[in-house]
Amino acid sequence: MGIQKDRVRFNVGGKIFETTATTLANAGRNSMFGAMFDESWSLQPDDKTGDCFIDRDPSCFAVLLDLLRTGEIIIPPNMPEKLLYREALYYGLIDHVRAAKWGQFDGNRLRLVGSVVGRAPGDGTAIRAGPDGGCCVAHGSMVHVYNWMLEEYPPINLDYQRVNDAGWVNSESIVMSACERLGTGDGGMGLFNSSTGDLKYKFHVSHYNQIKSYTAGALSFSSDYKIFASCKGRSNEYGIGVWDQVTGKQIDFFYESFGWSLGDADKLQWLQGSNCLLVATLFPRKDNCYISLIDFREKKMVWSWSDIGAPTTVDEKRVKDAIAMEDSRSICVVNEYEDLGFMDLRSTNGSVRWSSRSRLMKGKMSEEPCYPKLALHGGQLFSSMNDNISVFCGPDWVLTSRLRSNSYGGSICDFSIGGDRLFALHSEENVFDIWETPPPAIM
Amino acid sequence: MSAQKKRNFQIEAFKHRVVVDPKYAEKTWKILEHAIHEIYNHNASGLSFEELYRNAYNMVLHKFGDKLYSGLVTTMTMHLKEISKSIEAAQGASFLEELNRKWADHNKALQMIRDILMYMDRTFIPSTHKTPVHELGLNLWRDNIIHSNKIQTRLLNTLLELVHRERTGEVINRGLMRNIIKMLMDLGSSVYQEDFEKPFLEVSANFYSVESQQFIECCDCGDYLKKAERRLNEEMERVSHYLDTKSEAKITNVVEKETIENHMQRLVHMENSGLVSMLVDDKYEDLGRMYNLFRRVPDGLFTIRDVMTAHIRETGKQLVTDPERLRDPVDFVQRLLDEKDKHDKIISLAFNNDKTFQNALNSSFEYFINLNPRSPEFISLFVDDKLRKGLKGVSEEDVEIVLDKVMMLFRYLQEKDVFEKYYKQHLAKRLLSGKTVSDDAERSLIVKLKTECGYQFTSKLEGMFTDMKTSQDTMQGFSATQSADTGDSPTLAVQVLTTGSWPTQPSSTCNLPAEILGVCEKFRAYYLGTHTGRRLSWQTNMGTADLKATFGKGQKHELNVSTYQMCILMLFNNADSMSYKEIEQATEIPASDLKRCLQSLACVKGKNVLRKEPMSKDIGEDDAFFFNDKFSSKFYKVKIGTVVAQKESEPEKQETRQRVEEDRKPQIEAAIVRIMKSRRVLDHNNIVAEVTKQLQSRFLPNPVVIKKRIESLIEREFLERDKVDRKLYRYLA
Repeated sequence: MGIQKDRVRFNVGGKIFETTATTLANAGRNSMFGAMFDESWSLQPDDKTGDCFIDRDPSCFAVLLDLLRTGEIIIPPNMPEKLLYREALYYGLIDHVRAAKWGQFDGNRLRLVGSVVGRAPGDGTAIRAGPDGGCCVAHGSMVHVYNWMLEEYPPINLDYQRVNDAGWVNSESIVMSACERLGTGDGGMGLFNSSTGDLKYKFHVSHYNQIKSYTAGALSFSSDYKIFASCKGRSNEYGIGVWDQVTGKQIDFFYESFGWSLGDADKLQWLQGSNCLLVATLFPRKDNCYISLIDFREKKMVWSWSDIGAPTTVDEKRVKDAIAMEDSRSICVVNEYEDLGFMDLRSTNGSVRWSSRSRLMKGKMSEEPCYPKLALHGGQLFSSMNDNISVFCGPDWVLTSRLRSNSYGGSICDFSIGGDRLFALHSEENVFDIWETPPPAIM
Repeated sequence: MSAQKKRNFQIEAFKHRVVVDPKYAEKTWKILEHAIHEIYNHNASGLSFEELYRNAYNMVLHKFGDKLYSGLVTTMTMHLKEISKSIEAAQGASFLEELNRKWADHNKALQMIRDILMYMDRTFIPSTHKTPVHELGLNLWRDNIIHSNKIQTRLLNTLLELVHRERTGEVINRGLMRNIIKMLMDLGSSVYQEDFEKPFLEVSANFYSVESQQFIECCDCGDYLKKAERRLNEEMERVSHYLDTKSEAKITNVVEKETIENHMQRLVHMENSGLVSMLVDDKYEDLGRMYNLFRRVPDGLFTIRDVMTAHIRETGKQLVTDPERLRDPVDFVQRLLDEKDKHDKIISLAFNNDKTFQNALNSSFEYFINLNPRSPEFISLFVDDKLRKGLKGVSEEDVEIVLDKVMMLFRYLQEKDVFEKYYKQHLAKRLLSGKTVSDDAERSLIVKLKTECGYQFTSKLEGMFTDMKTSQDTMQGFSATQSADTGDSPTLAVQVLTTGSWPTQPSSTCNLPAEILGVCEKFRAYYLGTHTGRRLSWQTNMGTADLKATFGKGQKHELNVSTYQMCILMLFNNADSMSYKEIEQATEIPASDLKRCLQSLACVKGKNVLRKEPMSKDIGEDDAFFFNDKFSSKFYKVKIGTVVAQKESEPEKQETRQRVEEDRKPQIEAAIVRIMKSRRVLDHNNIVAEVTKQLQSRFLPNPVVIKKRIESLIEREFLERDKVDRKLYRYLA
């Protein structure tokens, strides 16, 4: 070791910084400082000045040194974030920056941190938050991928077929489901490297050992490395396909029964606790709504609900989205007026119990209405309606916050929560908003 | 200079990418390459980390990542080739040391190179799916050193040679060994497995195959097992010292297979030292070793268990069928118990109290105990013996232990009802003759029988105890009323026995002497006076009497005799001699009993209060008997026993057997009816199976008997045969 004392002097781009080896140790071995102070590099300060010279920008170094000292990152307003990220990457401190930048997700403390404008010509189909704070946006036949710094990666596509859904298997892989092109075997489902956009493999559906082309719809993933997708095959092979994430091989297929829709499903949701898959097919994709829970081990539908035969006069009670809440063993549904409804998962022939309390904004419809979407995160329920998102908490799901962006994108057509961030995609312009929870208050 | 000034100032068009210097990449790489050389040459102190880091960063930033990466591969490969040469050149023992030293150097160099190229490792490598620097360094080491022609086999042979030397008792440098093995593991589990573990296991298998063959030719079983155990421990120790922990299961598997599994049968059956002789000689340590070693191989314990079972069955069979042993029932049962204790101890000390072994032991006992149809009788006799005299002066706990052991044997019996029969008889004799040592022990055993077989099994036995108790009360009441007229009239002690509770005896009465008859009548009057609607009949064959007798020289004795004997002796109050015929006429005692009584009165030395003519052991019908004036005994009280075969005689045995069979009939019928009532229709085989199942806690019913009972039930119209299927029976409600 070249340094006897704990004190270290740096000359960074001409500016002198003085700190301690202890502070620098916070950077970890896997950083430039960690390597620099390793025994094998007998660090020798400049003979004359006693400094260690680093040929980098001093202002960013100051911010990063502050990060190592305090664990907090405060970016001066005149400093482009991109510059800071680049410097952090140089020192091997990018993970530290990522961890300090925003706090643990809380729906009631979110703040809008930015909006990203896309270039795609058409409307967005879906937005999906990645596990690391990045996201992907499906537009028409392409999926645009962003990392947590909101830098765009090469977009991905599956034979340029219309994208129905996308999802993150892990921080490196994205699955995309697309429409088939008749007779060509194009479309279907593929797994891509998120940063390079390389196709790793396509998922096939085979019936009686014959590979069929198909249209893949909604996606869901389980923690034991399975991928579920609603599928519409060529010869009426409608149902839910199951694949292995690691091998890419099909491992199961659940055919829909007559008079019940699975292959057209709008939403799939894997329920970890009960080992079941929620499948919801909703108006207007079909004339009726079908919600079912499938247990693949027993190959049967263990719970189901449909509005077939319900009085048509209650048109306003059309279910537009559904989400299972395992903690309260119920399914939450929403209609186009943002009325929340609840169904008990324990009784098989339940009906929807509508809660009118949540309807606070009737009569304020935007010109191009979007159907409401639901999401559940950390015990908080989120519902999008027009250009804002409502947050509901507690056992009675009381409205506690409303996120309204002042951006110009029009109604929110989809939103997603993940990596401690919330992403909301607007329908009129290709804009998505990023919401974060600020780090906890200093005092 | 001036010429240049004249020219118009020109602004060059902005180029998209400013490449500072076409040789920029080459220059930068040279700096880094030089650094790598210096690192490998232990000359890194002059290098500036910051500069190198920045240069590597710049190369990646300016899209020369590929050049940087391929340069790294080339440079490192070159160094490794040199290293390989120097390792190859190392002679003899220094080979491993050189390899180890170079490995340490390479690791350190690799770490430093990685430090410099950290930025590339973080950004360029993931996005281009290349191998990270550290892993790359290990792969290159593997390909250029470990898998180089001149090193690969030499390394393997050296390692195997060292292991072999250690196995033959030499001391090797385990630290070095550990480092080298650790290197192979660091290079990936497949390198460790392919380049060391697999050949190691093969060589080990050969080694142990040869060694175990040698051992088995010259060692006895115990020694062999000791050696095998030591080898096994050595291998485990070896793994813990310098091999991958995952290898433990594999190498022990090899040792187990070669030394134990392959010689299992031979070891177990080894003459004079195999399993059987270990069992016979109670070699707990050897047996325990065998158990622990054999449990490691498939079918190992099964083999031990099999041989043990065969051995126990064989010795047990010899024991229960040996006519010598059948002479003394107490000894017979004691031997069974000893045998059981012996094996219990073996199982608990050597076989880890293994449940399957206990089960095997139990089933073996069950098998051979029931080979002898007299086992139930003998066990009851053993209890009888213990309860009569065997438990005197023994502590309560020991009594319990003995009784528990008896119960254990009882559990093995198939014909529990036969035991019950005998037990009842023996208990009756004990109670009536007042011979039981401990009431507590008696009751304790009954409680045990009750928990084992249920209430109905013991209800009659308990009734016998109740009778004894009420008889005592009755006698107190009786003597209270009789207190007035004392005198010479005999005292009477009566035990009133409930019919049915006690073993039925053919009521062979005899003529009681007039004096006795008087008292008896008084008692009858008293008893029937207090209990109406009962009938008393005298069981003269079961009583006892105390007689006061005066002999020739005036010496007085008190004679303790049976009721029959009393009747005979009383005759001699009036006559000094009588013939057999006279006695028979006067007493009307059944001939067989009479003969026995006379035998015990006249033929037993020291107790011959009568004299017989002619003198002989057996009683003839023409014999004459005289009062023996010359009788003398040093005791005042003389007990004259009846000459009884303690064991049953052959006809008695037949009789008991018949009674048992007779008693079984209603039980079998009841079982059939119970089953048919619930099942309504059942075929023959199923009935037999179910009846057997229901009754097996008491006895094993014979299928032929069951068939007969079914026929009888059909006759009595409890059941009928199905009209269509003759095999089916129908219950008629």
